[in-house]
Amino acid sequence: MGVTCVCQVPVAEGKSVQQTVDMLQKKLEQLGAIKQGNFWVDCETYHATGNATGQPSKLLYVMHNSETPLSCMALFEGGPGLAADANFDVLMVKLKSHFQNAKGHKVESRGTRYRYCDFLVKIGTVAMSSSARGISVEVEYCACVIPGDCWNLMKEFMQSFLGSNTPELPAAFTNKAEGLYSPVDCMDTMSQYLELFSKVRKQQVLPGSGVR
Amino acid sequence: METYVPPLSMSQNLAKLAQRIDFDQSSDSDEEGPERESREPWSKPELEEDEGTVKFQPSLWPWDSVRNNLRSSLTEMCVLHDVLSVLKEKKYMALDPVSQDPAMTKTPQVFQLISKKKSLATAAQLLLKGAEKLTKSLAENQEQRRQRDFNSELLRLRSQWKLRKVGDKILGDLSYRSAGSLFPHHGTFEVIKNTDIDLDKKIPDDYCPLDVQIPSDLEGSAYIKVSIQKQSPDIGDLGTVNLFRRQPKAKPGSQMWHLKLEAAQNVLLCKEIFAQLSREAVQIKSQIPHIVVKNQIISQPFPGLQLSISLCHSTGEKKNQRASPDKSKPDDHLYVLEHNLHQLIREFHKQTLSSVVMPHPASAPFGHKRLRLAGPMAYDKAEISSLQQSEGLLEKIIKQAKHIFLRSRTARTIDSLASRVEDPQIQAHWSNINDVYESSVKVLITSQGYEQICKSIQLQLNIGVEQIRVVHRDGRVITLSHQEQELQDFLLSQMSQHQVHAVQQLAKVMGWHVLSFSNHVGLGPIESIGNASAITVASSNGEYAISVRNGPESGCKVLVQFPRSQAKELPRSDVVQDGKWIHLRGPYKEVHWGRMEGRNFVYKMELLMAALTPCP
Repeated sequence: MGVTCVCQVPVAEGKSVQQTVDMLQKKLEQLGAIKQGNFWVDCETYHATGNATGQPSKLLYVMHNSETPLSCMALFEGGPGLAADANFDVLMVKLKSHFQNAKGHKVESRGTRYRYCDFLVKIGTVAMSSSARGISVEVEYCACVIPGDCWNLMKEFMQSFLGSNTPELPAAFTNKAEGLYSPVDCMDTMSQYLELFSKVRKQQVLPGSGVR
Repeated sequence: METYVPPLSMSQNLAKLAQRIDFDQSSDSDEEGPERESREPWSKPELEEDEGTVKFQPSLWPWDSVRNNLRSSLTEMCVLHDVLSVLKEKKYMALDPVSQDPAMTKTPQVFQLISKKKSLATAAQLLLKGAEKLTKSLAENQEQRRQRDFNSELLRLRSQWKLRKVGDKILGDLSYRSAGSLFPHHGTFEVIKNTDIDLDKKIPDDYCPLDVQIPSDLEGSAYIKVSIQKQSPDIGDLGTVNLFRRQPKAKPGSQMWHLKLEAAQNVLLCKEIFAQLSREAVQIKSQIPHIVVKNQIISQPFPGLQLSISLCHSTGEKKNQRASPDKSKPDDHLYVLEHNLHQLIREFHKQTLSSVVMPHPASAPFGHKRLRLAGPMAYDKAEISSLQQSEGLLEKIIKQAKHIFLRSRTARTIDSLASRVEDPQIQAHWSNINDVYESSVKVLITSQGYEQICKSIQLQLNIGVEQIRVVHRDGRVITLSHQEQELQDFLLSQMSQHQVHAVQQLAKVMGWHVLSFSNHVGLGPIESIGNASAITVASSNGEYAISVRNGPESGCKVLVQFPRSQAKELPRSDVVQDGKWIHLRGPYKEVHWGRMEGRNFVYKMELLMAALTPCP
């Protein structure tokens, strides 16, 4: 468990998603990272029913991460989140009357996992209903749990292989009550992924088939 | 007819005694008494009675009653004497029988018979009734005893095994489920009453009123055989069922049912062990896959070696003829590993019941209780794997087998080397305390007779599962693989180094100076095992010098440097003209080491040094 930063890498000009991913992977391997298997992160959307007034129904996102295989995270956008046992999915089935699954909105990111000393880099293809929509890169510095202490180091590392696509300090850290110097949680990672997934979802609404 | 006479009461007793008192107290009557009595014995009691009412004297002396008794007995004796004399002499009196009426004897014979018969019949009836009562009570007793035997046996059975009543059957549980096992066998046995034997016939020696019926697949006896062999060349040999005949030892005084139940429980445990091992053998991926054939699991711990774990279950009905090949290799069976397998499965049972696991919520699976927090606390893979059991039963037993094999091979290597090489000597001190995965031995290389001087080569070998770690006295740590050739080469190189170290120590003792010393010389022929070492020592007065080069393969070479004055042919030189140069050391000469006297290298060296040291 370390400080995680999730960012989106835009697809290179004139290249496909897969080619960009391969480019990134080659860069990492040249750097000296060792491939250590695969990873996946997925997100399902649930509508909260039973809202009498015309307010837009709140959306509940249930996410899974292969790093924490026995857990299931549930969060509202910008709101509270919870980490639970894997049986939470079964619970959601039981709560069908209150939360309806929006089946077409499932987003997931799958890819390879690299380890470079204390860094864990995961390059994944964000896909929605089996069409690739973008590239997600997650960098985790396992040796530290306080973002304020290691952000500079992480930025430098990311610059070495991401170049100009290096992100700024994620909002998940700055939005915290205690600021940058409070320890991280798995919810920070998940909220960053959620942000990325929502961006990806909004992106592809215009071109291509708007699958709903 | 018996009449019961109650004992006399106190007053009655006193009256009886009082009647016996002799009231004739006069002393002269004592002396004349016997004579008078013989004449008139029958008048005496009348006189006494008369006098009894007139006089009453208490006894004056303690022998009174005795005297009275004696007197009365004398009286009686006289009477008897008279009767007998009358009977015999028939002079003054004669005995006459009582005449019987002849008419009375005729009819009473029949009556007598009938009356006798009747009385006998009533007596017989009484006796028969009594006998009947006795036999009935005896039969009841025996029946009760039979029942009691069954109950007492049942009580004994219940004190050792779990029983429960289902309908009218008594069932028991011989599985390990209450001890934490997860094996799905039911392990139920039935208790049968065996009380319908004929009590009149002789009861057999091993009769037991209680019998147990065990499930048919748990009959007979079983054990797990673990053995390490050289790899068999053909796979077709696999799958031969090894049966055996190991008779279970019957403890004296234990019942049949106890033996049966214990054997069945053992069979169940062996089956569980084997099921767990084969499940792991199939599921766990390893570099060299394990083969599971029929009742054998074969794996390869080291190249060229085969570990086979087999479940040997014999139902005890017919002895298999193919069991004879087992006899040829009785030492093959590693009993230690079989015992360890039993212990490991019992440990596994205990873990499912430990406080870390139990009590658990109904929805949680079996496992460490911290794992239930894995979901909510978002544990990552590293944390989860640290909580879970990483090794299964098969892996553990294979590691243990590897260690046992490595340890025995190391011992064999050291022993063969020690017996082959006499100089220097190898000593191995094995540690008593070792682990299932680690043992240690201290190896000392010494020369006989010089143990105190030459003790610089001491190695501590830590034998692990796949490697041997050697810690040298000088601090070097070397890791050797499982190949025995590596260890042998290493020890040989150490032995050659020891000889040179010994010369160094000897020089200190003898007063010689060490001029140069090298553990690994770069000159001379290359050794295939290790490196050669060399040393040069000079005598105390500097006249002589000895150079030794010792290698593991090339052996030892000893050269002595003499002073120039002793050299026979000195090369003439224009430069070296002065006479003082005669005292320097000159040319070298090789020593025929094989012809030197002395039982080992150091002894020879000591003699050489002594020979080269001049007497003062």
